[in-house]
Amino acid sequence: MHLVTAERDALLKPIQTVSGIVERRHTLPILSNLLLTKTDGELSFLATDIEVQISTKAQCEKGQDAATTVAARKLLDILRALPAGANVSMELNNKKLNIKAGKSRFSLQTLAAEDFPTVSQSAEFKAGFTVGQKSLKALLALVQYAMAQQDIRYYLNGLLLIVEKGQAKVVATDGHRLAFAALAVESDVDRQEVIIPRKTVIELERLLDDSDEPIRIDIAPTQVRFQFGNVELVSKLVEGKFPDYNRVIPTGYKNSFSIAREELIGCLQRAAILTNEKFKGVRCVVGDGSLKISCTNTDQEEAQEEAEIDYSGDAIDIGFNVTYLLDVLAHVKSETITVALGDANSSALVTTPDNTEFKYVVMPMRI
Amino acid sequence: MHAPAVAQPRRRIAHLDMDAFYASVELLRRPELRGLPVVIGGRRLAPDGQPRPLSEYAGRGVVTTSTYEARAYGVHSAMSMMKARALCPQALMLPADFDEYRRLSRLFKSAVASIAPDIEDRGIDEVYIDLTHVPGDARLVAHSIKAAVRDATGLTCSIAVAPNKLLAKIGSELDKPDGLTLIEPDDLESVIWPLPAKRINGVGPKASERLQKLNIHTIGDLARETPQFLMRHFGHNYGRWLHDCAYGRDERPVVTFQEPKSRSRETTFEEDTRDWDSIARELVALCQQVAEDLGRRGYAGRTIGVKVRYDNFRIVTRDNSVAVPVNDALSIRKAAFAALARLAPAQRFARPIRLIGVRVGALSRAGAEALDRAGRGRTLALFGD
Repeated sequence: MHLVTAERDALLKPIQTVSGIVERRHTLPILSNLLLTKTDGELSFLATDIEVQISTKAQCEKGQDAATTVAARKLLDILRALPAGANVSMELNNKKLNIKAGKSRFSLQTLAAEDFPTVSQSAEFKAGFTVGQKSLKALLALVQYAMAQQDIRYYLNGLLLIVEKGQAKVVATDGHRLAFAALAVESDVDRQEVIIPRKTVIELERLLDDSDEPIRIDIAPTQVRFQFGNVELVSKLVEGKFPDYNRVIPTGYKNSFSIAREELIGCLQRAAILTNEKFKGVRCVVGDGSLKISCTNTDQEEAQEEAEIDYSGDAIDIGFNVTYLLDVLAHVKSETITVALGDANSSALVTTPDNTEFKYVVMPMRI
Repeated sequence: MHAPAVAQPRRRIAHLDMDAFYASVELLRRPELRGLPVVIGGRRLAPDGQPRPLSEYAGRGVVTTSTYEARAYGVHSAMSMMKARALCPQALMLPADFDEYRRLSRLFKSAVASIAPDIEDRGIDEVYIDLTHVPGDARLVAHSIKAAVRDATGLTCSIAVAPNKLLAKIGSELDKPDGLTLIEPDDLESVIWPLPAKRINGVGPKASERLQKLNIHTIGDLARETPQFLMRHFGHNYGRWLHDCAYGRDERPVVTFQEPKSRSRETTFEEDTRDWDSIARELVALCQQVAEDLGRRGYAGRTIGVKVRYDNFRIVTRDNSVAVPVNDALSIRKAAFAALARLAPAQRFARPIRLIGVRVGALSRAGAEALDRAGRGRTLALFGD
C-alpha cells in the first residue's frame, strides 16, 4: 500500500521533529518506533515515551488510509543518509515498510499501529496563553540549564512555570543555584503553577525557532500542551511541590559590582583549566577596585586572574563552583552583568541591566 | 528425652517475610495477572509490553521468583527458565525491575520501623524485629505491623513472633501467605519438632542429606540424638549448634546495623562470549552500578576485584588494591580493567566467558568521608536541607 512520495527534506524534517524524544532503551520496545498515520492526504508522525508525546504532519497524496509503526532511529538515519533533494517513496507491504529513493531500497520491520501507546489528552485544558516562538525560546534558555538532573527530589528535575495575569514566570533550580525569568504575556487566566519535566523543556527549546510565529500553551491539571506550526507536544507534569523560590532570592545586598560578561568568562575559563572533575572550586576575592579569581588543585598548581571593577564595598573572600558561574554567563546575552554579595556564606545574586526580570542565585562553595 | 527448654523466654523476636515479594510487586502493577502463574525472569518484555508465556522462552536465564500459582507447578527461584518452562509452559514471564523492588522494600521497612524501631535488615524482602520493648500483646503488635505494611505498600507479609530469631524464622514459613504465627516456648514439641530438619535456617541440602542417611528427618528426630552423637558426625561446632536448634535455643541478638564488607555486581551473558567489546561494555556498566550502590550508602573501598566465569563454570578472580578508598565509577572502572589485565591474554580468553562480575571490598565509611573532604568543594544548599 502506497503511503507517500515526497522530496527527502519534506519527510526528514517531521521525522527529526518527533524523534528527539524517542528513548533508545525503553521497557516497551514499540516506543522506539514512530507511529505513521495516513488520513485524508496527510501523513502524521508521532513519537512518545509515555511521559511526553510529539506529533507533526506532512502533506501526501490522497489514497487509502493506513497506519503503522517503524523504528525511529533507522528511519531517521536512512533519510539523513539519502542525498538531499532525492525523491523518496514509502510503501507498506506485508508488514514491511519499503523505502525507495533512486537506486536505494530499504525494507524495515514494522509493529502494529494498534499496539502503539499514545498519550490520551486531558479534557481539561483551561489556562492558556500564546506567545511568539522566539520569546519563549529565549525565556527557556535563560533558566533551563539550572534544572536538576536525576535528582532524588524529583520535582527539581523540571521547570516551574507560573502563569498569572499578564505574566509567565519560569524557575529552575538544582538546590545549589536557581534561575528565574519572566515574560509579559496576554493571559487572563487564574494563577497556575506547574512543573514541566526536564526532558520536555529541553526538547521544546530545541524545536522552537527564532521567529515571531505563535506558540499556544495550554495547561490542564496533569498535562501541558504546546502547539506551534504543525507540531503538537503534550507532556505530563511533574507532581510535587516546588520549593519556595522567592525565599531564596536575596534582596537588599549592599555589596555589588558590574563587570563585562566576556571578560569575566575569560578569567573563569582560564582559572578553570586547573580545576578537575572532583573539584570545581574557584576562589573570588572582591576588594577595592579589583576582583581576584584564583584556583589551586591537589597537585599544588595555581592559577590567578585579576579584573578591575568599580567596587568600594566590604572585602569578601568567597568560593564558587566555576561551572555554576560559567553556566549563567553563557546563557545571558547582555554586555555586562551585575553581581551582588552578602558575605562569604551567603548566596550571590547575578542580574543583567537589560532584563530586570532575570535573576540567578548561586550558593557559595566551601574552599 | 530432654525436657524442652528455651533460653531467654523473655525476649520477643519477630521475623517478617514479604510474600512472594517480587512477584507481588509486579501484580500490584498488573492486577490482571492475579491468580495466574507468573514467573519473574527473562530480559525484557515483548514489543507490545505484554507478558508472554514461558513456552516462548529460549535462553539461559534463571527464575528470580514466581507467584504462588506458579510454585504449585514446582517452579521455584534460582531454577533455570528452561526447566520452569518444562514444568509450567503456560506461566507468564515478566522481567525483574529491581529499582521498583528496592523502592517498595524501603517503604515496607519504614512502615515496620514506625511501629518497632529495632530492625535487622535481612535483605530486600525480610527483616527481624525485636519486639521485646514494644508494649502490647504479641498478636496485636504483629497485626498492626502487618496492617502498616499493607497500608504502605498494598502487599501482604507473613510474620512469626517467637522467643528468638531461630524460631521466628521457622515460624514465618508456617502460615504463608499473609500469615501470623505465635510460637511460645511450650510449642516446641508440638509445632517445631514435627517439621523437617531442613527448615532450620543453616541446614542446607548437604547437611540435610547427611541427616537423612542417619535416619534423622524431623527436628524432633534431631532432638532425640545426644549432642555427643551430633558432634561426632558433624564436628564440634555444627553438632552443638544442631542440638541447640532442636531445642529452640538461639541467643543471637537482633543486629540493627551491620557494616558491609563489600559490594558486588555480576551479570551472566545472554550467550557465552569472547567478544571484547561486549565484555568491556558489561564491565563498565557493572562498575557504574557498584559505584551507585556505594554512593547511596556512603562507602568507599580500596580493593577492586573482577570475577570471570568461563563456559565450563571455572571461576577466575583478580584483585587490585588502590592507595586510597574510591567510590566513583571512573576509579572503580580503571582498577577493574587493571585487575582484568592481570589475567594473561592467553588465559583471559582461553574459553568463552559466561559471567563477569565486579566487587569493591575493604569498605569504609571513613574512606568516603575522607573523599568528601579531599573533594573540598561542596556548594552549600539553597533551601537549607
